[in-house]
Amino acid sequence: MTEGTTSDVAVPSVEARSGQARELRLQGLTWRPQGRDEPTLDGLDLTIPAGQRVLLAGPSGAGKSTVLRALAGLLDPEAGDLDGDQPIPERPGERGLLLQNPVHAIVAATVGRDTAFGPENAALPADEIRERVTAALDAARVDVDASRDPLRTSGGQQQRIALAGALALHPGALLLDEPTSMLDLDTADRVREAILAAAAGRTLVLAEHRIEPWLEHLDRIILLGPDATILADGPPATVLAAHPALREAEPGSGPVPEAELRRVPGALTVITGSSGAGKTTLLRALADEPRDARPGYVPQNPEHSFVVTTVRGELMVPLREDRDVDTPTWRERTARAEELLAAADLSHLAEANPHRLSGGEQRRLAILGALAPRPELLLLDEPTVGLDRERREAVLALLDAARAEGCTVLAATHDPHLIARADHRHELVDEPGRASHDRADAPAPQAAAGPDRMPDRTIGPVPRTGRPVAADRLNPLTLCLIGLLTAAGSFAVQSWQVGLLSLIPLVLLAPLAVRTLRGGLLRLAPILFSALTLAWTTALLGTAPPLSGEAWLLGLKEACRITVFVAPGVLALGSVDVTALGDSLGARLRLPARPVAASVSALVRTGHLGQRWGEITRVRRLRGLGGTRSLRAVAGSTLALLVDALRGAEQQALAMDARGFARATRRTWTGVPPFRAADAVGLALGVALGLLPLVLTLAL
Amino acid sequence: MTRFRTIDLLVTVAIGAAFGVAFLGYGALYSLIGPLTAAFKPAEGLLAGIWFLPAILAALIVRKPGAALLAELIAAALEMLLGGQWAWGTMISGLLQGGGVELGFALLAYRRFTLPVAMLAGVFAAALEWVYERFAYYPEMSWPFALVMLAFFLASGAVLGGVLGRAATRALAATGALDALPAGRDRALTGTERRPAAVS
Repeated sequence: MTEGTTSDVAVPSVEARSGQARELRLQGLTWRPQGRDEPTLDGLDLTIPAGQRVLLAGPSGAGKSTVLRALAGLLDPEAGDLDGDQPIPERPGERGLLLQNPVHAIVAATVGRDTAFGPENAALPADEIRERVTAALDAARVDVDASRDPLRTSGGQQQRIALAGALALHPGALLLDEPTSMLDLDTADRVREAILAAAAGRTLVLAEHRIEPWLEHLDRIILLGPDATILADGPPATVLAAHPALREAEPGSGPVPEAELRRVPGALTVITGSSGAGKTTLLRALADEPRDARPGYVPQNPEHSFVVTTVRGELMVPLREDRDVDTPTWRERTARAEELLAAADLSHLAEANPHRLSGGEQRRLAILGALAPRPELLLLDEPTVGLDRERREAVLALLDAARAEGCTVLAATHDPHLIARADHRHELVDEPGRASHDRADAPAPQAAAGPDRMPDRTIGPVPRTGRPVAADRLNPLTLCLIGLLTAAGSFAVQSWQVGLLSLIPLVLLAPLAVRTLRGGLLRLAPILFSALTLAWTTALLGTAPPLSGEAWLLGLKEACRITVFVAPGVLALGSVDVTALGDSLGARLRLPARPVAASVSALVRTGHLGQRWGEITRVRRLRGLGGTRSLRAVAGSTLALLVDALRGAEQQALAMDARGFARATRRTWTGVPPFRAADAVGLALGVALGLLPLVLTLAL
Repeated sequence: MTRFRTIDLLVTVAIGAAFGVAFLGYGALYSLIGPLTAAFKPAEGLLAGIWFLPAILAALIVRKPGAALLAELIAAALEMLLGGQWAWGTMISGLLQGGGVELGFALLAYRRFTLPVAMLAGVFAAALEWVYERFAYYPEMSWPFALVMLAFFLASGAVLGGVLGRAATRALAATGALDALPAGRDRALTGTERRPAAVS
C-alpha cells in the first residue's frame, strides 16, 4: 500500500473554486467495462454548459448511469477499457453524485459525521467542517438531528442526507441517478424540492424515468438509445414533441384504501402506507405464518432469492420432492418451468447465471421462481420499484398470470401503477411509537402547537444506548489498552491459587463496565463456557494423568487463566464505539487513513448487513432449502451475502470517490475523543490488573 | 499495481464484514461436530480453515498485498466488538491468520492466485494459528495431542481454507460480482463464456 506517502491532496483549491457552476464535457468517450464484450459508451461527445439543467431519458440499460459516472470523472481505467476524454475533477467533490439507492452513500454512524465525510477527505479544518455540515444539512432540508443513525432513517431522508453529503463539498455540478425512483410520491416530491433548491447556481444532470415532475425546471432533455447513443437532444418541448411516448399518463387511483387485509384467491391486494408504516414487516409476518403449503415470497432485492446457478434451475427449486401430497412430477415441473420462462421472455437465458441478468430480468426471474411450485399465496415486496415502464409492465403481466391461476397475490408497494392495477388495497397507518423508523417524511402536522423545532446540527459522539457506565468515560484507546495489558498479564497465572485470586478484582470491577445484569451475563456466559471446556480438555489431554486430581487442578488453573486473559477485554470493549475508535486510530496512532475510514464505514453497517443475512436465510427457508440448518444452506447463504456485499461495495466506492475518498491519504478526523483524568485512572487500573498475577505469584 | 483503489478497499472490508456477520450464524457448524469436540478438543481443528476464508477470499479477489490481512482483521474486529468470547485473542488470531495467508501469496510475489497457492496460504495460516493456540489456549496439552491438533489444523487450512476459498471465488466470479475487480480479469476464473451487454 502506498498510504500516507502522497502529499498532492488538492486542499488549497477547495475554497478557490467552490460553488461555481461547472461546464461538463465528454469527448469521443468509449468505455467497455470488464466482463462485457461490447462497449457501453461508444465515442460519446457531450457538452453541458455551466448552470444548465439536463435530464437524461431512455430505457434501463441504455447507459444513463454510465454517462453520469463519466460526467463525474469516475470511470475507472483499471475496471475496463477507457478511450477519449472524461473530465477529472480538480478538487474533491467538485461534482456531487447521488445514486438510486441512498443506502449505498451512507458511510457513518451519525447523520452529522456522514455529511462531514467529504470535507474530512478534503482535510479541511474541523471548525470549517462543522460550519459546512450545518449549512449542508439545512440546504438539503434534512430534518432529523445530526446525532441520528442514517441507516435508521427513511429512504427519503437518506436521499437528502446523501444530498447534504455532496453539498458539504460545495459542488459545481450535481449528477443524480434516478434519485427519487425508490421513493413514494409524496416523499419523492419533497426530495425533488430539496434537490432543485440546492441546484440553484449549479449544473444539474439527472437520469430519471418519471420526467413529468421535473419538466418545468429543465433546460434540456437528452434521449439515449442502446449503448448511450444520443437519439434526441434539445429543449424539453422539442424533444417531447418528437418523442411523445416519453411522457406517461398518470395512472388511475385504484381501489379504495381499507383497514382490512383481503386475501382473495385470484385477486391482487396491495399493501400501502408511508415509509416506516411496517409494510415489509407485515409481509414477513405473513410469510412466516404457519400454514400447510409454503407461500411464494419475492424480496425487494431479487438477488436475495437466487439459490442456484442457472435461470432454469431457479424454477426447479426445491429440488427434492417434499411432503406435499400433490407435488407435480418432475416432467410436469420441467414443462412448467419452460412455459413460465417463455411467458416472461427469459427462455433465451435459461442457462445463464441468474446474477448476470439485468435488473428487470432478475425481478421477473425471482417472481417466476416463487410461482413455479404453484403457491396458493404469493407475497411480493415492492416488485416494481425502480423499473422503467416497459419492465414494470412485464412484471405486472406476471402478476396477472398468477391471478389467472387462482393465486392470492399480496404486494407491498408505493407504486401508483401497481396500485391502479390492484383489486383491493390495505392501507397501513403509522403506528405511533415505532422507534426504529423515522417518520419525519410524513407530512408535518399542520398548525402543530408551538414553533417547529429546528433539528440539532451539532456533530458529537455517537449516542450510546442503555445505562451509562463508568467505562463509557474512557478513551477507546485506554479501553483497548486495559484489555491488552490484562491479557498479557494473564500468562503469569501459573497456579490455581493465583488464578482464583486474580479473578477477585475482575468481579469487583465488572459493574463499572456492565450496563445490565442480563447483558453482562450474556457477555460473560460464552467466556465461562470456554473456560469450562478448557478445564475439561486440560484435565483429559494435559500432561498430568487423565482426569486425576492433579489434572483437574491444572484444569482449574487454565480456566482461571483464560478468564483473566479475555474477560477484562470483553467487558471493556462493551464501551468502545467504532467511530471513536476509528478517529483515535487515524488521528492519534496515525494508522493509514483510507483503510481506517473504509473499515469504520464497513463496521457501522454491520446491523444493515445482519438484516440482509436475515432476509437471505428467510427466502431460502421459504423456498424449501432449510434456513441455516444444513452445511449446504449455510454455504449458499454466505455466498449470497457476499454477492450482496460486493455489489454494495461497488456502489459505495462510487459514492465515496464522488466525495473525494480516492486521494484522502491525509484526512481530518472530526470526532477524536480526548484523554481525560478518567483515562489516567483507567490506565492505572489496567497496569494494576496486568501486574496482579505476577505480583501474586512472587508473593505466594 | 499495488495501490488500493477505493473499490479494492471496500471490497476487502466488505468481505471481512460479511464473514463476520455470517460467522455469527455459524453456530450450526460447531454443533455438528459438538459431540466429537467435547470428547476430543483437537477435533475442533478440523473446522479451523473456515476462519481463514475472509483472508483467502480477499487475497484471491483483490490480489493486492495487505488485502488478506485487512479482511481478516475486520472479521476479527467485528467478532470481538460484538462480544466474542476470545476478546483480544480474536484480534491476535486475525493478525496471525491474515498474516499467514499473506505469507502464502507473498512467496509467489502476489503473481499466482491458483488453487495450490490458496491451499499453501491456508496451511501457513493454520500453522501460525496453531502456534498461537498452543501457546495461549492449550499450553498444558501434552505434545502428542497438540501434534494431532496441528495435523487437523493444516488439513483444514488446505481444504476448508484453500479449496473452499478458491471454489467460493469461482462461484462469485460466475455471478459477475467480481467484474470490476482484478479477479474479474482472470479468464481461468471467469471462463470465456460471456453474455452480451444486458438487454431485457
